Amino acid sequence: MEEGGIKLGEIELEIPPNVSFTTTSAIHDFIKDSPMQKLVNWGRKNSLWFMTHPMGCCGIEQICVGVAHYDTDRFGIIPRASPRQADVMMISGYVTKKYLPALKRVWDQMVEPKWILMMGECAISGGPWWESYSTVINMDEIFPVDIYIPGCPPRPEALLEGFIELQKKIVAQKDRTVIPNPADGEV
Amino acid sequence: MGDEQAAIQVIDKTIMIELSDKFPDVVSDVDVPSPNRAIARIDPSKVHEIMQFLLDKGFDHLSCISGVDYPPDKMEVVYHVTSYSGPLVITLKASVPRDDPNIDSLCDIYWNANWYERETYELYGIKFNDCPYLKVLLLVEEMEGEWPLRKDYAGYPNPT
Ligand code: SF4
Repeated sequence: MEEGGIKLGEIELEIPPNVSFTTTSAIHDFIKDSPMQKLVNWGRKNSLWFMTHPMGCCGIEQICVGVAHYDTDRFGIIPRASPRQADVMMISGYVTKKYLPALKRVWDQMVEPKWILMMGECAISGGPWWESYSTVINMDEIFPVDIYIPGCPPRPEALLEGFIELQKKIVAQKDRTVIPNPADGEV
Repeated sequence: MGDEQAAIQVIDKTIMIELSDKFPDVVSDVDVPSPNRAIARIDPSKVHEIMQFLLDKGFDHLSCISGVDYPPDKMEVVYHVTSYSGPLVITLKASVPRDDPNIDSLCDIYWNANWYERETYELYGIKFNDCPYLKVLLLVEEMEGEWPLRKDYAGYPNPT
C-alpha cells in the first residue's frame, strides 16, 4: 500500500479513503511465466480494436479498412472512435511538431495493453516531408512501434497484413506492448 | 447597379496607368504581360496609401501576401490584389532590407490581411508594423524566431 498520492502519468491523484493499491506484480509475473499467458495472448490477438484516428492522407486508407468490404471483423479488428476503447493506434500520416503533444496524449489515454502500427512513409521516416522544418521524423524513438507498413499510402490489404503480422507477434510474445508493472510505481 | 458598373470599368489594365500617375516616384517597373495580369514594384513605405487607393478603385480582394528571401541583403513582400468584379490580378512587390525587414500592416484596409501577415512573419521574420496580433500562426510557438523559409535556415532535420 502507498501513502499519499498516486501518480498516473504526469497527473498526481490523491488516494481516496478505504482504497488500496497493490504495489507488487506477483499475479502478473505468475501469469506471464505460465501457460495461461498463451490464453491471454490468444484473447488479445483476436480483439485488436483500432482507433479511428486518421492523420494524413493515409487516413483515407485507414478509414477504408473499417468498411464492410474488407470485413476486418473476421480477425477481431474493429474500428473504435475513442482512445479509451482502443488497443491499437495507427500513426497514419505526417506528425508535425505542433501535433506531437496531442498524439502523445492520445497514446497515454489508451489502456494497456496497446500497440502501435506505423502506417505509410510519413510516419516511418518523414516520407515526402523528411526534410521539412515542421515534421517530426524517427517516430520510433518516441513510441514503442511494433509494425511498419511502408507505402504511400499502403493499400488496405497491406494494412490488414500488418494487423496479421501483429497478431503473429503477439502469439509469439515478441510484441513491444507496455504492461505496467505496479512495482515500478506506475499504476 | 451604377456603382457596380463603375467598378467593372476600372478593373482592367488602365488602373496601372492611374497608379503610376498617382504615385510617380513610388511605383516602378510596371509591366502588363496579359490582360489579366499586372506587375509593379512599389516603395515599402507607401504600401498603405497604394492599397487604400486600389481598394477605392474596386480592388476589394487581397488574394495573398507572401515573402521572398534574396540573401544577402534583400527581402521581398509580394501582394496579390484582385477584384470580385473583374479579371485583373495585380502583383505588387516591395523590397525591404534583410537585416531589419519591416513594412506597414494592411489589417485596417483588408480585414483578411491579418493571417497572411502572421504567416509571412512566422516564416520569414518580416515585421508588419501595427499588425494587431503579430504572433506565430501555424508553427509551434518555440519556433518563433527561427524563420524557417529563410535561405540560411539551418534547422532542417535532413539537409540534402
Ligand atoms: S505516406 Fe503518403 S499517403 Fe501517407 S500520409 Fe504520407 S504522403 Fe500521405
